[in-house]
Amino acid sequence: MSRLLWLLAAVEPAAEPPAAEGHSPAEVLMHHVTDSVLFRHVDLGPFHFEPTKHLVFFIAAAGLVLLMCRLALRSYQKGGVPRGLAAAVETMVIFIRDEIAEKNIGHDGRIYTPLLCSFFFFILIAALLGLLPFPVYDPSTRRFTIVSATPTGNIAVTLGLAIVAFLAMQYAGIRKFGVIGHFRNLVPPGLPAWLLPIMVPVEILGIFTKPFALMVRLFANMLAGHMVITVLLMLIPLMAAIRGVFGIAVIPVSLALALFIMLLELLVALIQAYIFTLLSAIFIGMFAHPAH
Amino acid sequence: MNAQALAYFAAGIGAGLTIMGGAAGIGRLAAAAMEGIARQPNAAGDIRGAMIVAAGLIEGVTFFALIVAMLLVLLK
Repeated sequence: MSRLLWLLAAVEPAAEPPAAEGHSPAEVLMHHVTDSVLFRHVDLGPFHFEPTKHLVFFIAAAGLVLLMCRLALRSYQKGGVPRGLAAAVETMVIFIRDEIAEKNIGHDGRIYTPLLCSFFFFILIAALLGLLPFPVYDPSTRRFTIVSATPTGNIAVTLGLAIVAFLAMQYAGIRKFGVIGHFRNLVPPGLPAWLLPIMVPVEILGIFTKPFALMVRLFANMLAGHMVITVLLMLIPLMAAIRGVFGIAVIPVSLALALFIMLLELLVALIQAYIFTLLSAIFIGMFAHPAH
Repeated sequence: MNAQALAYFAAGIGAGLTIMGGAAGIGRLAAAAMEGIARQPNAAGDIRGAMIVAAGLIEGVTFFALIVAMLLVLLK
């Protein structure tokens, strides 16, 4: 398992312009979902960069979130009454503050709202970016390529998000009970002593499985959606390889199914952003208010 | 049957079993939530929120199994 996870996080070896034929379906699928170098030979002074597609989309998503928040802020500074984009952003921020943070963490949940908002907007925008095709011109190879990638479909990115969530959970516990109190809270008080050898390892494992589940859930959701769309579109060349007519006949079916999955992905983008945020809040709440 | 054929075979069966489990879980969840909403329409919002979270958890576990099935095919 670790080998595939590593494969999905790692960058494809920089192959020179690939041959047009001789790709098995599995290779095409893997090329679509794994990270690969997007721009070769980006030289800034003494530095040499080879940005990969997930990195480029990661920066684009982060930049879009920042831009969106700045634009929303401007509306407040001008009139005090949010309109347009700011009203939409405000609705979501207030939803996260009232329905996710305060409901699951308690009244001190307000201080985690900025973190939860960052999770929500970044995951949402990253997933939505992955549904749009972008023509990218690489000056070093002088070729246009159509690229669409979800940075959260890379396990390294979701690992980063999960580490931040993990630190937030520990912070919540330590802030409230101090370091010793936080770790003493791992086992519920009044437990028979002979249960301790079982409970302590299980609870220590529990600290790490929570962010691990967050990581794999987001990653697998984003990966699976893209894989299903690719496989459905790949039905066309696969059927055409059997007989040309079959290929033409399967085009409407394949396109309709791919469109349906894409619409589903719109929903999944929202739901996954919501679930990641909500579960982070619930886990933070678990450490801030351990079982009595 | 060589080893690779067996891996494909296992991956297909594994993916099918995974989907059966996930579908059963989410189906039961949705049935219970529908019943709850029908009995008490006032609580529809809360029930829907709780349902989405539980569905997300079930889906997450299903994806663990699907990734294992995918490994069997993609790692030669």
